[in-house]
Amino acid sequence: MAFSRWLRSNAEHYLLISAQDRIAHQHGARSPNPPRGLREFFWLRIFAPVYRALPWPLRHKIMLTMPGSHRRQWAAPPRAHGSAVPPRLRAHESN
Amino acid sequence: MARRIVVVGGGAAGMGAAGGVKAVDPDCQVTVYTGFDDVAYSPCGIPYVHGKEIDSFERLFLASKQAYVDAGIDVHYNAEVTEVDVSRKVVSVAGEGEVSWDTLVLATGFNYADPGVPGGGLGGLYYVKDIREAIEWDKVLDTVKSAVVVEASPLGVEMVTALAHRGIETHLVDPSPWPMSEVADPDIMEPVEESWRELGVTTHFNTTLKAFRGDDRVEAVQTSEGEIKVDLAVICTHKEPNNALGVAAGLKVGSTGGFIVDERMATSAPGVYAAGDCTEIPNGLTGVPLQGLTGSHAYAQGKTAGINAAGGSRAYSAVYVPWGTAAGKWIIGGASLGETTATALGIPYVVGTAQGISRARYYPGVKPVKVKLLAEPGSLRLLGAQMVGGEGIKERADFLAVAIKFGLTLHDLASMENVYSPAIGALNEPIVVAAQSGVDASRKS
Repeated sequence: MAFSRWLRSNAEHYLLISAQDRIAHQHGARSPNPPRGLREFFWLRIFAPVYRALPWPLRHKIMLTMPGSHRRQWAAPPRAHGSAVPPRLRAHESN
Repeated sequence: MARRIVVVGGGAAGMGAAGGVKAVDPDCQVTVYTGFDDVAYSPCGIPYVHGKEIDSFERLFLASKQAYVDAGIDVHYNAEVTEVDVSRKVVSVAGEGEVSWDTLVLATGFNYADPGVPGGGLGGLYYVKDIREAIEWDKVLDTVKSAVVVEASPLGVEMVTALAHRGIETHLVDPSPWPMSEVADPDIMEPVEESWRELGVTTHFNTTLKAFRGDDRVEAVQTSEGEIKVDLAVICTHKEPNNALGVAAGLKVGSTGGFIVDERMATSAPGVYAAGDCTEIPNGLTGVPLQGLTGSHAYAQGKTAGINAAGGSRAYSAVYVPWGTAAGKWIIGGASLGETTATALGIPYVVGTAQGISRARYYPGVKPVKVKLLAEPGSLRLLGAQMVGGEGIKERADFLAVAIKFGLTLHDLASMENVYSPAIGALNEPIVVAAQSGVDASRKS
């Protein structure tokens, strides 16, 4: 498995568990199990807090440096430009 | 000489690609290779036949085999493509030898993640995918008294509901604290869990599968919380990209394992396109690639790949992922981020929620509709939505995905117009009320 896939797979999995814990407390819902073993302790007690402490622009930049489809060409979402009805036909603008 | 296009895979993406090719250039030679007996059916409908909401598997077929012959699409059934050679532009097909192509579309779909526990080779482990196998499994379900669904993925949620509807003693084992926890928030899933309890489902959350037990067939599952005796296990682990053929051919994959593609669905190899669950597509908000989207995404990606493979021009867009499904007695759905996913990414948000109704309060059949909207603090641009209710969830999810795509704010939604007609819509649209709630919350914070 490539490093980027390994990192994404683990980071995504444990950041979700960390988020589930926080959201569960907010909603009074069932929390995930606490970490068991060194591996879970590292990802949940060290990686997740460090990730959260970084500012979003830095986190985002790191994410986008990973190889993936996002680094190829994708069109920006189309934007509406003015009314679909020409201004000369719009009654409230001709008054 | 007519362009020769080979499509590997006969699911939504593959058949979408074949149709896209013919729409651009009817003279193109299109050959589709599928490892299954059929194409053009809805695998997503299988749980609903098992649950008896749909009376026959025949209803899941969208077109006959003759319809593809008539359309000039040459489908090879039970055909295994064993190798792709990008430099020589050939695929190797078991029993057919080498087949050349001018452009190739890989639509190889997904594999369920291996549960990775002892007993994986036992009988009685059902992976929902192929309709012919589903027809056989449906007969087995008539003999089953108790079953376990492994993991509360979207398919898992549908299968739990289906088995319970069928009167089978149903267990759900999931290592997470609530169902669909990678997508949905606990307040959205709470009513679903409650309705499962009413249906007699036994849920085992925060519970890890340890082994399938039995001699020839599964007789029990061993979990972190003990043993559950069952006659059948339905494996609903997450969908991993089926990328082996393309990886062996040198195609690049991203951090999800899906093929890297651009807006034309072109891969890293010249003349090779890819579509569906074997690819990854960037999320429109974060840019982070996603893999394993829905059938409608796969079909649209396939169309795009086919049109471009045939010499046409079409661009697919980054995704905002409207989603929804029936779960217990409710419909759940949403678009883009929920509270859990936003928190996991570390994206700040404000929330607006509303508990509304689907029709006029006095009209028969009125159902509750809960809407939760997430927005960027300050600008109040929409980041995501989650909903649970009795009806009208799908349409709201579709609309809210477009609202996110076009950068609408909670202010826009709080002042939007809505249909009011007693039989189909309430005076107060829940989206409007949720948006106003979010605006109010942002002023207080």
